[in-house]
Amino acid sequence: MNTVNVSRRSFLQASAVAGGGLVVGVAFTGCSSTSEPLPVASTEGAWTPNAFIQVLPDNTIRFYTARSEMGQGVTTGLATLVGEELDVNPFDMDICFAGVHEDYANPLFGMQGTGGSTSIRAHYTQLRQAGANTRALILEAAARDLGLATSSLTTDNGYVLAGEARHPYSDFIAMAQSLTIEANAPLKAAADFQFIGRESRRVDAIAKATGTAQFGIDIDIPDLHYAVVVRAPVAGTKVRSVEASAARGMPGVTNVLEIGNGVAVVAESFWQAKQAAAQVQVDWNTGALGQFDTDTLRADYTAALDAGDGVEGPDEGNVEEALSAASTVHEAEYWAPLLAHAPMEPMNATVRIDGERAEVWTGIQFPFAVPAIVSRVAGIPAENVQFHQTYLGGGFGRRGAVNYLIEAAEIAVYSAKPVQLVWTREDDIQQGPFRPASLMRIKAGADADGNLTAWDAARAGGNISPDSLRTLLPAAFPWMGDIVAEGVAQLSEIYFKKFATDNSSTEGLFEDYDHANTRVTHMTVDHGLPLTFWRSVGHSYTAFAKESMIDEMAEAADIDEIAFRLQNTQNSPRLNNVIRVAGEQMAKMNPPEGHHLGFAAHNSFLTDVAEIAEVSVKNGKIQVHKVTCVLDCGQAVNPDIVRAQVEGGVVYGLTAALYGGLNLERGTIKESNFHDYPMLRMNESPEIEVIIIDSGTEPTGVGEPGLPPIAPAVANAVYKATGQRLRSLPLQLA
Amino acid sequence: MIQFILNGQAVQTEVDPNTPLLWVVRDHFKLKGSKFGCGAGLCGACTMHVNGAALKTCVTPIAAAANKSITTIEGLGTPEDLHPLQAAWHEHAVPQCGYCQSGQIMAAAALLDANPNPSSDEIDAAMAGNICRCGCYPRIKRAIQSVSENALAYDAMSQTEGRA
Repeated sequence: MNTVNVSRRSFLQASAVAGGGLVVGVAFTGCSSTSEPLPVASTEGAWTPNAFIQVLPDNTIRFYTARSEMGQGVTTGLATLVGEELDVNPFDMDICFAGVHEDYANPLFGMQGTGGSTSIRAHYTQLRQAGANTRALILEAAARDLGLATSSLTTDNGYVLAGEARHPYSDFIAMAQSLTIEANAPLKAAADFQFIGRESRRVDAIAKATGTAQFGIDIDIPDLHYAVVVRAPVAGTKVRSVEASAARGMPGVTNVLEIGNGVAVVAESFWQAKQAAAQVQVDWNTGALGQFDTDTLRADYTAALDAGDGVEGPDEGNVEEALSAASTVHEAEYWAPLLAHAPMEPMNATVRIDGERAEVWTGIQFPFAVPAIVSRVAGIPAENVQFHQTYLGGGFGRRGAVNYLIEAAEIAVYSAKPVQLVWTREDDIQQGPFRPASLMRIKAGADADGNLTAWDAARAGGNISPDSLRTLLPAAFPWMGDIVAEGVAQLSEIYFKKFATDNSSTEGLFEDYDHANTRVTHMTVDHGLPLTFWRSVGHSYTAFAKESMIDEMAEAADIDEIAFRLQNTQNSPRLNNVIRVAGEQMAKMNPPEGHHLGFAAHNSFLTDVAEIAEVSVKNGKIQVHKVTCVLDCGQAVNPDIVRAQVEGGVVYGLTAALYGGLNLERGTIKESNFHDYPMLRMNESPEIEVIIIDSGTEPTGVGEPGLPPIAPAVANAVYKATGQRLRSLPLQLA
Repeated sequence: MIQFILNGQAVQTEVDPNTPLLWVVRDHFKLKGSKFGCGAGLCGACTMHVNGAALKTCVTPIAAAANKSITTIEGLGTPEDLHPLQAAWHEHAVPQCGYCQSGQIMAAAALLDANPNPSSDEIDAAMAGNICRCGCYPRIKRAIQSVSENALAYDAMSQTEGRA
């Protein structure tokens, strides 16, 4: 043909620069000379126009999804984006989880990771463009092969329509491969969407309803052995000595070995490994953490807040002056405890080392880290590590912390067997990494008209960034080596303690309301507990403090809770609108006698959410009957999945609000399983209504923003029901 | 040797009789649809039917299954031949991460077998042993109600009326 055959990479670069919403220059920055071949299935005669789409000779349209599916529905969402422009129904696609490659980077992260409620907005333009350009090439190829004008052709779900004739896309593979795309194909106007914004099911529901969806724990390969790790009662403690002769003699046991985080027992079955692990005696070298109790944490945070010696975050105007001039001043302190994530699938990873090659099967939020981690542990080149993503049985941030993969790799190397490491539920609850505990104080002032004038907010607790750097830096920058990476992590600890706030520690504490005078202070108090992201991160506790305080201020100023919020969010018009719509819903509600309505609103991950909790209190027990949620998340790509995510955020947040709390006793987490770290169950689950405001803007986050408002909405309702202002989570009446 | 019926097939195993049924089914018979969640009978991810009753199999020794009939999620229906509950799970977009759903569906199937027309409270009571961290409870309940006898009768009636 007379056009030049462009490389896949320049095709993708062409796609990437389209569309103002895309963060250009992040997704496809690698130079092609160092680029690895794509980890896609090689099928004779298949056409792979870009990293995401493959057209097979039998007209199977395969979509490689780059984001981890942990329940948030991202597989359906991303397939919808591609399918919209490629003109292929997502339910007719063959969808595969992508391997590791730079083309699968999250455009907002610059690396292959899933989190921060970013996936849909990060890929919104990129994947539609990939679909549109592929369809344009198919149409052009069809026009040439059929000797017809492109303008006379159209498409329908994987077929090119030429008059009455239907030609599968695959008929034009050979011609399409020889063509180039000179300019990005135009994207559809929203009014023309056939899949985006339309109600639909989930592409993974049948697999998940029939037990055929494969999670990491379901991987089975020849000669697979199973490992359980005996772990220190105090997280992060090292082994001093081991007595394992009894365990070694137990049925099926093939190895007992010391690894970085404890003692691994390897056996022919999980059950045998678990039984034998119970017989291992370990003497632990317990460090400073072994002296601390839950009360120590809170007392140390209180002392830090009292001392006032922290790092200044945002500082605008003059808070002190504004507070002395205010007509209404109110101050309060709020507590949020340590939490475990407790996804239903316990952490696990399967690793097979075969000479200089390795294969890994696991469900993980940061696939980019897999080759580097296994390479370092096994001493083999990173490019020899093949990664197979599985479904994640829940993530909630936990599967962004990669310790389970490091352990599995260690065990596979030293036991010379293909190994599946499985954490027990007790490991999961007790070992972390945890959602940090937080003590927050807010002092607010308002003028005589109820306009907020001053907001002085402080938080004491640990920061999550240093631990994340500790595990992910060596994976992101293999040249660093462990010692340099550890050094950087320690420097970051000092940095966040002395020089700047860790954004995830204070996010959500101060941004939503109009107050000209704002001061944010952070006191880092780190007892050495491993910490990480937990669904909605800082917002999971700051929203509780902020929205409780707003309710308290409204009352102090003697203004209705909705009116007060509307009056003080003039600079946040979308949040203001969400509050208005939710307020109208609340005004129409007519709860039965003894039921009370509590309100909260919060912006997180660029999405605004308001929630109304209908609550009763009987014999000291808080019961949440109904939760009404109003949100503006821009374009809802799959409205039913948006609703499901908000429902899920409410249930996850309500579990924490009513029950969640880990307690330390001499450095050991006292809780161990679902009997003493209880989860909300169906009989305690409220009816949940979700109202999506269609604002027609580009999508914003959905996986997390439903969570932050629920705890304060319930606490604000409990106050109305009882007169008790509960400022500690979990909510417990006096 | 312990003999039992697994999804309609007579099978036998020589594993340690204390081994939980869950692990025998998963690791020896390679049926991976039933899940490990807590190992203590607290979450229901491992729920199977033993002689028709829902049972948490992570704490049920295989010895207790001798000569009994065990049904797992794989025996309830397949992607090509869905059980009505599995079809309802798809229709109502119930699953999120999906890890607990085998257990949820097995518990729901046992409920409907025993009580084809459960009230909301009866559904709560029957399903309270199954935890879902993704918070799919409202949809699970809706899906169960859609398969209950009343809902099916209502559907049949409205279809008849539609034709009339």
